[in-house]
Amino acid sequence: MGVKAVHRITTGRNGLGAFILQCKKMDFHYCDWAGSSKGMNGFIKSILPKFAAAHPQIEFTVSPRPSKHPVIIGHYINGRDKAICVRNLEPLQILKKVELLRDASGEKLKKVTKPVQSINESVRGIWSPYHGNGMRV
Amino acid sequence: MRTSRPDQPFRAVRHQSTSALALDSALEATAADEPYDDGTDHVRFPPLERLPNATKLPSPLPERALTSAKLAALHARLSLPQKLPLQTLARALVDISADENPLFNNVNLAFVGQTITHYHVAEWLMCRYPRLPMTIMYAAMKAYAGDETLHSVARSWGVESAAEPGGEVDSGLLQFSMYKPVSHIGFGYGRKDNSRVEQGRWRRGIANRVLFDDDFGEQIGYDTRKKAQIPTSSQRTFSYGTEETRAAAERAHAAAVRAVVGSVYAHCGREAGKAFIRAHILSRTIDVSTLFEFKSPVVELARLCQREDFEPPVARLLSETGRLSRTPVFVVGIFSGKDKLGEAVAGNLDHARYKAAMNSLKSWYLYSPGENVRVPSEMLVEGSKAWEPTYIDIGEIIHG
Repeated sequence: MGVKAVHRITTGRNGLGAFILQCKKMDFHYCDWAGSSKGMNGFIKSILPKFAAAHPQIEFTVSPRPSKHPVIIGHYINGRDKAICVRNLEPLQILKKVELLRDASGEKLKKVTKPVQSINESVRGIWSPYHGNGMRV
Repeated sequence: MRTSRPDQPFRAVRHQSTSALALDSALEATAADEPYDDGTDHVRFPPLERLPNATKLPSPLPERALTSAKLAALHARLSLPQKLPLQTLARALVDISADENPLFNNVNLAFVGQTITHYHVAEWLMCRYPRLPMTIMYAAMKAYAGDETLHSVARSWGVESAAEPGGEVDSGLLQFSMYKPVSHIGFGYGRKDNSRVEQGRWRRGIANRVLFDDDFGEQIGYDTRKKAQIPTSSQRTFSYGTEETRAAAERAHAAAVRAVVGSVYAHCGREAGKAFIRAHILSRTIDVSTLFEFKSPVVELARLCQREDFEPPVARLLSETGRLSRTPVFVVGIFSGKDKLGEAVAGNLDHARYKAAMNSLKSWYLYSPGENVRVPSEMLVEGSKAWEPTYIDIGEIIHG
């Protein structure tokens, strides 16, 4: 007799209460010698220190990768990562790519067709043919 | 005298250095005496550096927290106040299965955190849904603050775990051992003899669970799962772990979240702790109406109407279509006098009546004074408005 309970857990809603940036780590790889890393080296010297100071919630690592194109890898909370090759790019173009990685959620790219996605139930309810006065045909 | 003074310390230093030399040579001698020496020329090929002393410790030293990039990033990601030092956050990430010393693991912090979390979740649920039956209240508590939920909270914070705990591990990684059986803390009133309950000799009803068990109404010191063997190190060939290793990981993650809550409370005070719980635990969502599982809803509804002096509930067919077809639809409403208590749609009459009774009961149980209902802990702030008594229900309809 009485009511029994079903075991379930709550669903997180990031941004409601607390916001956790999904990008948790960024790796910067450069080459001292190769020409394709010229912009990357400039970025690491001039822009990266300010960017890193503005984003304490991201862990930054900088490491050389000799004889290879420069690359930026973003690691995300969902366990995935995203890599962008920044060969022959200017420092400001690289900054755009870094901002793209920072703002990404880490999910695979999807085509978004509906402007709003929600886990809340519809305010209006679901239309029912058995209620209301109906319509004479 | 003046000339002799500087000599004395100098001599002492020489003594020390010679004794140190003697020690070193003794160490070398012992190293050379070891049986697996293959006659390599150690001058030309010097031996590898010894492992740092930190590897002997079960968990990293507190001062290493200041140099961990991962830990600083986690601190910033959670927007923790500057008052909370990195060393405490590092300690919150050391599970009891990694380091048994209570001065270095997170057990004490987790205990504080668990108490605070359960208090805030319980008062919020009770004020928001004053008529919830106790079983559903326990399930809702567990849905908000249980191990499984807090594990997913830790994962959503981006807490990474070390493969194996040790003193050399980065302080920003969660450290626990999946292969070490440990008893995790539980807060509540344990029974003297759990086996009596297992055998069914002692009844464990709802009132009994309120008195004895933990905050989720679960027996303390009794695992509902069958006790399986914990795999030894030689059996660690599996890649995804077993049920036990996953449960150990879940417990460790949950303890870390509780410890972070506890450290916010300890360093920044009551209001900061409450705000942290609101932001990270109470902001999560669940549809409480999905937690119910009714045994005999029609009887329960009849008892409710009897208790509340309503007229006895009557089921009436409101609308139907295709009674003789393959897919009939019946809309049944339950009425008490002229008031409609609930209605439901189903493919046969009995099912529709049951569903309508369940919906009526849910609309009774899920009464809520509103989303932003005041809770007792708001009175702890100075200068708060006078307390208006909250609605309290008289209790269960049918006692389980």
